[in-house]
Amino acid sequence: MEHHIKNKIYHVEILPPKQAVTIEKLHEGLDGFAEKYNRVMEDGRCACITDNAMGLLAFQGTEVIEELKLKVNPEQVMIHLNTFHTKENLDEILDTCIRLGIKYLLVISGDGSDRLPKLQPTDVGAVGVEAVTSVELTGYILREYPGKFVIGVAFNPYEPEEHEFEKLDRKIAAGATFVITQPIIEQNKVVDKLLKNYPSMPVIVEAWMSKKLSLLSDAVGYEIPEDTVFDPIETLGELHRLYPKCGVYLSLLGFKYQIDKLEGLWK
Amino acid sequence: MKIVVCIKQVPATTDAKIDPETKRIIREGVKAELNPFDTYAVEEGYKLIKRFGGELTTLSMGPPSAVNSLRETISVGADKAILLSDRALGGSDTWATSYALAKAIEKIGNVDLVICGKQAVDGDTAQVGPGIAAHLEWMQATYVSSVEDITDESIIAKRMHEDGYDICEMKLPAVITVVKGINIPRVPTLKGRLMSEEVEIPTWSAADIGADPEKIGLMASPTRVVKTNPPPPRESSTIKITGPADKCAKELVRELRLRSIL
Repeated sequence: MEHHIKNKIYHVEILPPKQAVTIEKLHEGLDGFAEKYNRVMEDGRCACITDNAMGLLAFQGTEVIEELKLKVNPEQVMIHLNTFHTKENLDEILDTCIRLGIKYLLVISGDGSDRLPKLQPTDVGAVGVEAVTSVELTGYILREYPGKFVIGVAFNPYEPEEHEFEKLDRKIAAGATFVITQPIIEQNKVVDKLLKNYPSMPVIVEAWMSKKLSLLSDAVGYEIPEDTVFDPIETLGELHRLYPKCGVYLSLLGFKYQIDKLEGLWK
Repeated sequence: MKIVVCIKQVPATTDAKIDPETKRIIREGVKAELNPFDTYAVEEGYKLIKRFGGELTTLSMGPPSAVNSLRETISVGADKAILLSDRALGGSDTWATSYALAKAIEKIGNVDLVICGKQAVDGDTAQVGPGIAAHLEWMQATYVSSVEDITDESIIAKRMHEDGYDICEMKLPAVITVVKGINIPRVPTLKGRLMSEEVEIPTWSAADIGADPEKIGLMASPTRVVKTNPPPPRESSTIKITGPADKCAKELVRELRLRSIL
């Protein structure tokens, strides 16, 4: 992951088509996905494909890539993988990743929903735990698929600090080798501490690219007034200035107007 | 083995509105989805067919749009789907609906097992499954939480009730209604979803199934909704847990478990 940061490769979030749509909408969603994915590939960036983000049922990135026969450059694709799967489904996703040449995974506990099954400790060979988190899932993947994946984990600077760092230590002990933060829109003391305490760990900060601040409020867990003046591109430039040694993950990037403005922004 | 799973398309909302005049659920302008309890029925049917071989057919009575829910069942493994749709069936209550579904099951022929979700989330009656069994004069088990065994002649099912569970052995053909915990329904795959659009789903009319016009529709429905009221609010209480964090957490988990929340 270090070379992504060194070579200023943005991580661009792409959401796969949702499940509960008409067939016409699904085809539109697949076309839109392919267009975004191909654009990210052409631009030499890394496509980061979500896994039922916010608990909303969507198709898996791996099956969409396979179905649409999209080209995979192993350095340019990252799959999010959460704990809301059946064991069979989890193994299928991992096998498909290997078949397609996808090696980067962002392993997260994830948001569940009534319609999503949850991995059980016995599914991933976890002992002494009541529920599977990204720690157990990371351990399982690296144990069962040695040498096949490079695993990153999430870091939430809005959670109680001590608890979050303690969780991060467990994630690193399980084998995680890079970290992606929750979205930040300004200097964040906890992220500063993360960089200071883990100097050799590649850290990617998440930049919020949507103007919808209510969604960001949901993500960060505190209310950001809707009338806050917020220019995502300007904020992104500021994050580069504040965190020059970090990579950047762009969530909800606008492919119509914003993507062309990225050129030259990361100096 | 030939299994039929009866499914229903329901409003995709937890806040169903009742028409004050007709006392029926307002379905117009509300997004529809496959009844969540039916996803367990479809999954159980799929699992049994995978294990013992045979054919899984899904059946739904409803408006033409219900075909979308039937397609969803195809995308998770049903072999065939049939829509029962006819204006003459409109306004049917649970008795008339279960009669029409029973007639359709007879038309499908040689069915060994019918599986329904325990109830639909819109009407919440839990009557259609038992109604089908009554019309077909087949044995039935409701609130089944696991199918223990099945042979060509019989099925052994574990059914939940308030004081525990029963293990029932029934001759086939039979009807079971299943509860949420019986399995973990799979989510449709993209391949399955795309494939389901290619499958032709026949629409059967009341005449196609040989339904007696005197036994279907609003006029043949004995149910009369005289008045509807929201259920009384549940009583709530607050428990304050004090002490060291780890002990509080353990106590909280215990309390939540006692209430079946965890």
